[in-house]
Amino acid sequence: MAPNVGGAKGGAKGAAKGGKSTNLSSASRVSKSAKKDGPKRPPPKEQKTKPRTANENLKKKKKRVYTEKELDLPELNQITPVGVIKPKGKKKGKTFVDDAEGMMTILAMVNAEKEGQIESKMMKARQLEEIREAKKAEAEARMKERKNKFDDVKDSIRQKKKGKGGDKAAEPTSIKDSISKPGRSKKKTVAFA
Amino acid sequence: MRSLTEEETRTLFTKLASYTGRSLNSLITPAEDGSQSVFRLQGSRVYYVNKDIANLSVSFPRDQLLSMGTLIGKYTKTGKFRINLTALDLLAQNARYKVWIKANGVMPLLYGGSVLKAHVARFSEDCPENAGVVILDSNDVPLGFGVTARSSAQIAKLDPTSIAVHRQADAGEYLREEDTLFTT
Repeated sequence: MAPNVGGAKGGAKGAAKGGKSTNLSSASRVSKSAKKDGPKRPPPKEQKTKPRTANENLKKKKKRVYTEKELDLPELNQITPVGVIKPKGKKKGKTFVDDAEGMMTILAMVNAEKEGQIESKMMKARQLEEIREAKKAEAEARMKERKNKFDDVKDSIRQKKKGKGGDKAAEPTSIKDSISKPGRSKKKTVAFA
Repeated sequence: MRSLTEEETRTLFTKLASYTGRSLNSLITPAEDGSQSVFRLQGSRVYYVNKDIANLSVSFPRDQLLSMGTLIGKYTKTGKFRINLTALDLLAQNARYKVWIKANGVMPLLYGGSVLKAHVARFSEDCPENAGVVILDSNDVPLGFGVTARSSAQIAKLDPTSIAVHRQADAGEYLREEDTLFTT
């Protein structure tokens, strides 16, 4: 509603002032430009600023890259792992061992190492064996001692028995013999019919 | 096919030296007639070849060359060396320690079993534990190789059913592993 009303008003004003054109305001503008005699300019272009997310703005400009030396930083006390720093001027790639001498030296080193290992193994085994033997001998000696002790105790008990009644010991046996022989009749027997 | 680098040579010799003694030198030194054999690497596999043949082999494209000389073994991806049964002949000639087994132990070994104490006929003296040994039958024919489970002094005291030598390779593999023995 409102624009309509405004439009009608404007139209009325223009007609009253100019008196020439009874049409729209745009017609009046054209007449103005025609009056001026200034230099011709291309029609002004609208300048658009591109949003920050546009592809061109997203691309970072090439910055200067500083090396660590240029920065002049204080050096840290670092450990450089073996193999990271490669010696300069050294040839790339594998170094082959194709001559007999090189092979021989490597073989000699390997052999020496291996023999040392075997020797130490044998030494260890021998020592362990000695210790084992010594332990075994000790255990045997202990067993023997224990057995001897046991035998001594046995003997002493036997002797005690003998010492208490040398005659008595003899008597019962004789009695037994005397009893046992006629004692056959005493033996319980079971007879069936 | 190329020659070995220093590192590779060291690993190879370390492995071989656990089975062989000082006579390993004879593998490298030229023979009396002037012929010399060398170790060559093809893919991950190591071959022991006559030098003349090795030089001739250069004329074959690497991917088409299957095998030449004696296959010794191969490098694993972790850089260790795995010795192959086909190296048995070399090992047997230069063996440091040997085990001779009785006739009753031959078949169990050839079927992939370990050497039991009951199978052992003779044993090299002063052999430590976990040492590489070449296993031979009573006629001195090499049947395989393995690692001692006990030292030779301890083996004498073992009971008959306990393992004396852990098998690593035996001649039965020529049949059992026929399909994969030489595949790269």
